[in-house]
Amino acid sequence: MAPDRDTKTLEERRQGDRRADAGQSSDDRSTAVREAIRSELESEIALGRSRRLRGPDSPPVVEVDHVSLAFDNPILEDVSFAAREGETIALVGESGTGKSTALKLILRLLIPDKGRVLIDGEDITHLSFEEALEVRQKMGMVFQGAALFDSMSVFENVAYPLREHTDLDEDQIRKRVEEKLQFVDLDPSRVMDQLPSELSGGMRKRVGIARGMANDAEIMLYDEPTSGLDPLTTSTITRLIMKLQRELKVTSLVVSHDIRSVFRMASKVALLYDRKITFFGTPEEMMASEDKYIQDFLGA
Amino acid sequence: MDEIGVKSLGIVLLTGLFTGMVLALQSSVQLKTFGATMYIGNLVSASMIRELGPVLAGLMVAGRVGSGIAAQLGSMRVTEQIDALNTLGTDPIKKLVTPRVLAALIMLPVLTVINDFVGIIGGNIIAAFVIGLPTSQYWRTVWDQIAADGFTMRYIPNDFVQGLSKPLVFGGLISITACYFGLGTTGGTEGVGVSTTRTVVTSSILILIVDYFITQLLLSVLSYGA
Repeated sequence: MAPDRDTKTLEERRQGDRRADAGQSSDDRSTAVREAIRSELESEIALGRSRRLRGPDSPPVVEVDHVSLAFDNPILEDVSFAAREGETIALVGESGTGKSTALKLILRLLIPDKGRVLIDGEDITHLSFEEALEVRQKMGMVFQGAALFDSMSVFENVAYPLREHTDLDEDQIRKRVEEKLQFVDLDPSRVMDQLPSELSGGMRKRVGIARGMANDAEIMLYDEPTSGLDPLTTSTITRLIMKLQRELKVTSLVVSHDIRSVFRMASKVALLYDRKITFFGTPEEMMASEDKYIQDFLGA
Repeated sequence: MDEIGVKSLGIVLLTGLFTGMVLALQSSVQLKTFGATMYIGNLVSASMIRELGPVLAGLMVAGRVGSGIAAQLGSMRVTEQIDALNTLGTDPIKKLVTPRVLAALIMLPVLTVINDFVGIIGGNIIAAFVIGLPTSQYWRTVWDQIAADGFTMRYIPNDFVQGLSKPLVFGGLISITACYFGLGTTGGTEGVGVSTTRTVVTSSILILIVDYFITQLLLSVLSYGA
């Protein structure tokens, strides 16, 4: 029974505390914590084993090539990474290290001072405004706050890219919107007529994902997809991103602070520190790294 | 169009009516000393059509609509909805700015004409009930004034040219200022407040300054009194 289990857990915890007080040094305790975190992260990696990792021979879909950008201060310096088809690249790092800026460079909302950004092998750095709009149609972006148009219903939000860029008739649009909402585990009949302000944070994120993928984008970009969500919703969103990469073979770039979901879904992790990429490799390689900063960052 | 035009109608009607009334009331005091109260119609029509109609409608719309546009676009900017438009392959200028500027360009002259007309009616009310001037005479002096100010291309009264070109410019000024400050919003919700205030202050001042220069230009171009 649940109450018994709770009591037992509490009792165990008390015993543990007593043991700790009885003489374990703080070093031992932190080693224990680190061990716990390490095994938790390893189990997250194991959960995501099915994720795709492409060999170096498959051409990169998104390539950031020696990019530097500065506003008043330098933001990114000589940053390079690539995502091959179907891979999920996670950009991690402390706040303010330019992770979201990197996404904006890929979307060409910003233009790098130096270096190139390539989408499907095409250099998008010097495209005109109209050409950039065209390239962006290959990409779907999920914003941190979902960025749904608050004057439009959920249906209109998801239908927006379809109305703008396809010749689908009203019935086809409705069908496609329903399909996308179902894909993100929302009940179309219940949410379609609601306004974004009437939805919970997790639901808004899911509508954001549905809108991002409405046009069958081949590249999905996520800016902090799980920030500000409870652990259950976080896990739902993580599963959803994995479902997208598994079923639709979408190439994804995820900016996140949530190292657990990153380890579950990422094919490779890029760690930004001090305006540069200090690590780029698989979660397993990251775990195995001896680097002090990486170990501190993982808390392991 | 509905937001800028129809929903601003009430405020513009009220402004026009009371401006016309107070104009008639104030000028009646002065004109009485010369025994010239019969010229109230001239005064009200010239002031309303040339100056007060466009400027007051402009200021009202700057306060009501300019602030609204800035706040709306500002909150879209800080909640990343503008970036979302961009990433969905839409040009935010075409989608958000163009329709607002067009609506303001069309609706401000319409509102001004209504403002002028209601103002002149306001003057009529005071002329008839306070000063005791017959309505027919009031309207004759209104028309006399319009005719006396001359015509452009023989048939278009100069006063109308002045009275309609101004709101067209003001409409553009208000909407472009509001979109500029709205889209340039930074700093979260506080930034939205700053953009809104800047829009109202800047567009109101611009209206008054630009009004002076348009008047000077038109007075030298149009053959007044001809």
